[in-house]
Amino acid sequence: MIRKLCLGVLSLVAGLALTAPAHAADKELNLFAWSEYVPQKVIDGFTKETGIKVNYETYASNEEMLTKLLSGAAQYDLVQPSEYTIEAMIKKDLLAPLDKAKLSNLKNLAPEFTKLGHDPEMKYCVTWMAGTVGIVVNTDKVKDDIKGYKDVFQPKFAGKIIALDDSRELVTWVMNSKGLPINDVNEKALAEVKPTLAEWMKLIKVYDSDSPKTALENGDVTLGIVWSGEAAKLYQKDKKFKYILPAEGAHMFIDSLAIPKGAPHKDNAHAFINYILRPEVSKLISEEFPYTNPNAEARKLLSPEELANPASYPAGTPKLELFHDIGKASAEVDKLVTDLKSGQ
Amino acid sequence: MALEYRTANEFVATNRPGKRGWLLMAPLLTWLIAFVVAPTAIMFVYSFCDRDDIGQVVFTFNLENYKRIFVPEYGWIILQSLMAGGAVAGFLLFGLKADGSLTAAIREKTGFGSGSFVGLLAATAGYLVMRERVFALTTGGNFLKILFKSVELAGLSTIICVIIGYPVAYFIGRASDNARNKLLMLIMIPFWTNFLIRTYAWITILKAEGLLNGLLIYAKVISEPLPLLYTPTAVIIGTVYAYLPFMILPIYGSVEKLDNSLVEAAFDLGAGPVRAFSNIIVPLTRPGIVAGILLVFVPAVGMFAINDVLGGKRDPLIGNVIDQQFKQARNMPFGSALGIILLLLFAIAFFLTLRKEEKN
Repeated sequence: MIRKLCLGVLSLVAGLALTAPAHAADKELNLFAWSEYVPQKVIDGFTKETGIKVNYETYASNEEMLTKLLSGAAQYDLVQPSEYTIEAMIKKDLLAPLDKAKLSNLKNLAPEFTKLGHDPEMKYCVTWMAGTVGIVVNTDKVKDDIKGYKDVFQPKFAGKIIALDDSRELVTWVMNSKGLPINDVNEKALAEVKPTLAEWMKLIKVYDSDSPKTALENGDVTLGIVWSGEAAKLYQKDKKFKYILPAEGAHMFIDSLAIPKGAPHKDNAHAFINYILRPEVSKLISEEFPYTNPNAEARKLLSPEELANPASYPAGTPKLELFHDIGKASAEVDKLVTDLKSGQ
Repeated sequence: MALEYRTANEFVATNRPGKRGWLLMAPLLTWLIAFVVAPTAIMFVYSFCDRDDIGQVVFTFNLENYKRIFVPEYGWIILQSLMAGGAVAGFLLFGLKADGSLTAAIREKTGFGSGSFVGLLAATAGYLVMRERVFALTTGGNFLKILFKSVELAGLSTIICVIIGYPVAYFIGRASDNARNKLLMLIMIPFWTNFLIRTYAWITILKAEGLLNGLLIYAKVISEPLPLLYTPTAVIIGTVYAYLPFMILPIYGSVEKLDNSLVEAAFDLGAGPVRAFSNIIVPLTRPGIVAGILLVFVPAVGMFAINDVLGGKRDPLIGNVIDQQFKQARNMPFGSALGIILLLLFAIAFFLTLRKEEKN
């Protein structure tokens, strides 16, 4: 019986291995992007139109993406790093310059997203989406007026808090709450951060960068610090989930599409970038992942409710700051968070 | 065909693998070299290297990674626990020598020889002292504490697997041929679904507004949902669930081979059900139990996915720390150093068990 089963499984595996079709290699695109960020609809639409098969692989942090890219284990054609990672990748000469002649839809981007600090002339990357990292509160369960990080990390919320599983973000929250400049990460600043971070980390129940909305939705936690798009989705489903940008200051991120230097299908990568720059395609992305859409033409197609979602398009003039590459200090940030988690 | 032309002598001398033997072993050897020896060698080299600012491995030789694992306090702790173990052993040996009748009494009551009895107590004492000291340590990066937690979680899961798995395996092994095949099938069916999906399914059951809490609230057992998900309990449930078949199958193998006449003989000779079970059935199915424990415990120590999904990434196990180093922290050298230490510990434990088994 068991032997038969084993044989069956073995022959199945062998069969699959043998029949795996030799793809027409030039009709492929290896997309390596954040999880919960690229709608299947967009990928299917692209494949239908161009006949290019998209191999979509996901990651949950910029660091994870860099590790896999640098290991050279897979040949990616398109990656989706955030602003500070783009900065580092340009510095290390890991990205291929874009051929703007192939990107006719570039004109659709709003001007404020075309001259960004990490790539002022858009030589290497095209903005995918922007967003913020802020506080989400289940107002059914939490009646306090939450304004900033210190209101979240209170002992009475112990075991009710969700946080992103991202070392740099964790450190940034403490730095913001202490009024330290978030891009001046050095030994002295980290020493100042450490005791507070240790206290805060004891209160956190779940770390999740992939889909932090899930634990909030399931009722396992009642507040936390998450990506704005995740908060916007929660707000769409239930207005009880309120998004608050911390008064002390928050990280604004800009995620872009970029082509790694050794990419085997650069033309297909350009075609994909140009495809998502179309207003009607960009609108699809916003519908499924309601971050801040950088495409001015696409924004015109969004519904008033979508534009009124405070998590996607924050009102007023919140204190927002982009990340810069902090070089070697990122290793120290990782070490601090690893050690704190281990020592708990 | 070729066999006909061989002489008897050639057959006798086949203790050493001939050409044919090597040929048959070639796939296994290739596999071992490609997937065990080579990766371990790479890991070993990496563990002495450094990382650059974007996480690439820089080939230098330094011991920083190992220094980060072994904080100086550990030396003192290990010494203390050795001393505690030694004190207990010395005290017991002295006591046993003073009163010879005790040795016999121990053998009769516990079934252990006095040597292994003393060893067991001394090891327990050393372990308890070490655990107490390690958990009290507050320096950053207490990796020994994580190792303790991982081993304890894996140990507890293994014990639960034995307790649940043994009766199941026994029942299946004693069932009629027809029923047996069907029951085995039931054990195998979960494997048709991906392991991660099965683990994620537990979220639906354990979450605050999930099936289990809903049922308990509906039955008026509790009024507020129990915090089940993202707790160590959830991780243990997930681990037991995932590894239980690996306990049941080897025990089943032993039970199936169990000669029923021996059990009957025990009853005929006046043993009650408890005595027959502990003196006949358990010793005869011992190989299955040992295999099951190894198959569950060893992977469970290094397990990280279940803890990520059901534990909320909050309390890292040794597997999570290593996983983090390779992804988030981009510190392959440090991850490799941790891997090497874990490998060494397993190797030591394995050889100790092997020696013990050989003695038996």
